[in-house]
Amino acid sequence: MAQGRKGRLNYRCPRCLMREIDMDMLYDKDKDEYYCLRCSFTGDEKEVQRLNTQFREKYLDRMIRITDF
Amino acid sequence: MTIIHRPEMVPEYIQKEAEQGKKEDLTRSAVLQESLDIFRTQQQIAHENGLRTTIQMTYASLFNTEAVSIAKEHHSNFGDEIGSTFLGIQCNEFREKFKSKELAIWLFSMEDKRKIVDEVFGKFYEAFGFYPTSTGSYYMDAELVSYIKEKYPIVKAAVATCWEEGPKAYWNANNSWYTLMDGGPWNPWIPSKHNIHCIASDESDDIGIVAIPHISRDLMAVFDGPGSYYGTHPQNTLRGMVYEDRELPYFKNIVDQYRAMIKYNRGYSYNMMFVGPGWMSKSGRWESDYAFLLKSYQDGMAYYGELKKQGKLQDLTMSEFADVYRKNRPYTRPECTLWKDILYGSKRQMFWYADPYMRFCLDMNQGGAMVDLRPYAAKLIRPCGVGTKALQDASYPFLVQSLYRAGYFTHYAGEGAVMSCKIGNGSEQVDLCTCRTLASFSEEDNIRVVTLDPVTIEFANFSVRVQTIFRLTEGRGEVEIIRRILDSTNPEADLSIDEYITACYGTTEYPEDLTGIRLTLTGTDKTVSIDYAYQCRESEIENIQSADAIIPQVNTRLSMRTDAPAVGYFREGFAFSPMYTLGIKKTVKAKGELRTWLKVAKAD
Repeated sequence: MAQGRKGRLNYRCPRCLMREIDMDMLYDKDKDEYYCLRCSFTGDEKEVQRLNTQFREKYLDRMIRITDF
Repeated sequence: MTIIHRPEMVPEYIQKEAEQGKKEDLTRSAVLQESLDIFRTQQQIAHENGLRTTIQMTYASLFNTEAVSIAKEHHSNFGDEIGSTFLGIQCNEFREKFKSKELAIWLFSMEDKRKIVDEVFGKFYEAFGFYPTSTGSYYMDAELVSYIKEKYPIVKAAVATCWEEGPKAYWNANNSWYTLMDGGPWNPWIPSKHNIHCIASDESDDIGIVAIPHISRDLMAVFDGPGSYYGTHPQNTLRGMVYEDRELPYFKNIVDQYRAMIKYNRGYSYNMMFVGPGWMSKSGRWESDYAFLLKSYQDGMAYYGELKKQGKLQDLTMSEFADVYRKNRPYTRPECTLWKDILYGSKRQMFWYADPYMRFCLDMNQGGAMVDLRPYAAKLIRPCGVGTKALQDASYPFLVQSLYRAGYFTHYAGEGAVMSCKIGNGSEQVDLCTCRTLASFSEEDNIRVVTLDPVTIEFANFSVRVQTIFRLTEGRGEVEIIRRILDSTNPEADLSIDEYITACYGTTEYPEDLTGIRLTLTGTDKTVSIDYAYQCRESEIENIQSADAIIPQVNTRLSMRTDAPAVGYFREGFAFSPMYTLGIKKTVKAKGELRTWLKVAKAD
């Protein structure tokens, strides 16, 4: 098994991100998956993106332009 | 507002990227060129939007003729200021001269700090023929700034802290980013000679510069989250993933909330943007490709440009801002902000206050509970860096920090740090921390007033309405707190009003040793005093004049007083609840109020 490398983008571990830890993942090109050195997350790009979308959901106002202060 | 750009020749992020699978090389030309390209792009975006910048030359960039020549050209063509920064010191020349890989100016020994200042300023003079009037880093300790002022009195402004970049930022960066600097003001201030976080109380305490925080932060999200997710730094916002479909209205919302601070600060508000080239790496960052990194920067700058065109924004360089700020800023004038949630969809408000005596925060989600209190009046001399006791911990200590030390909700034992009030009847008691409300801000001459909407407290057989008002008299160093029973559905019921502060001290989440803290009750007839020893002792006396805690570890006296007959008390904690509590309580029937004053002062 070859060493893990940086992937296409610096995907952070989505599970660590949920607890607000920025942890860059390594990419295993043989298995086409990312993995985290800290927690036990393993997943492909699609799974990372799915969890990142979930992360953003906590920001209910992320797409609202607020001007009344 | 001020916009700062820096030609950081070897930005950590880009350098790390380039190093994947290779040995360290600080002279890698691809990194130097990419960094310079990004700096040039940032400058171009600002100028295209009609905005002037402060170019903070890094030490590394002073050896780069192209960077020096861009700075000179932009100074001459656009009126940009050429300043200096202690960020980006690492380069081959620095390594050879100082034999160190240290990247944070505040973490060097004092001896090294002096040498580096002289080297950086000397090299700057060599490149430009004058000394800079503005400088900065993520953090500039008072000892460092004092040395700079002594040797280079021309310096008038510095980026001096990063607001609430402390344990939360450390945790966020996998415990590897040593910017432990909680506790400063969120907007510019004139620092005390004793501690950079503290606001100078008068001319004799004035360190001689105007300090600017690194980035304008979200005052709610950053209190409970990583600073590098939420601020007027578009790539921070991408890091926090506060966007959808490549749009981030949140950025404009923060800018507008800062603009709205004119309501609380006599017509003045401030904003700053300071993005290092490392955040706009060509290979992308924070799950975003370069195109998105660039777009977010362009959009942010375009908004500032649009505001300028509308006459709603004035772009000043750092030194120009320092002059303007000093012209109309009495030392005692507080900085106030009633911040509202613009991220999570709640209506939550937090009121932030800072003056030469203290910084505190009130949380309207908890009935106006004080959830953060920093005793600036103590003006703690707390040097940092190698050879000091504090070393990396450059934060200003708190007495109350409800997120680091529990606050109202504890895990079923002990108490957390918070200041609040309990309303009781017989065996029933309700803490105002459980009463969500909203607040409004007003001024009466030199008194800032925060008035909370009344809340209803339901007891078993009747209910009462309670209103809280905070009054802050400029230059007094006290918080006046009024808890008023407006009405009761049972006019005969006795109601106890119990104002309390449960506090500790520290700079992190972990408990500190409270041994030796002196708790004292002073009444008209007697005085009771104990030295803290984790023994769960409690005491109360009638006709209280003041309840005090002297915390020698942070040289602070915390006290509460009232103007009416009342009972005062203290509570010592225990090892599983390392807190001390001071309180004042009285009983009223149907209507009535308790008025108390909370004060922090230097203990000796």
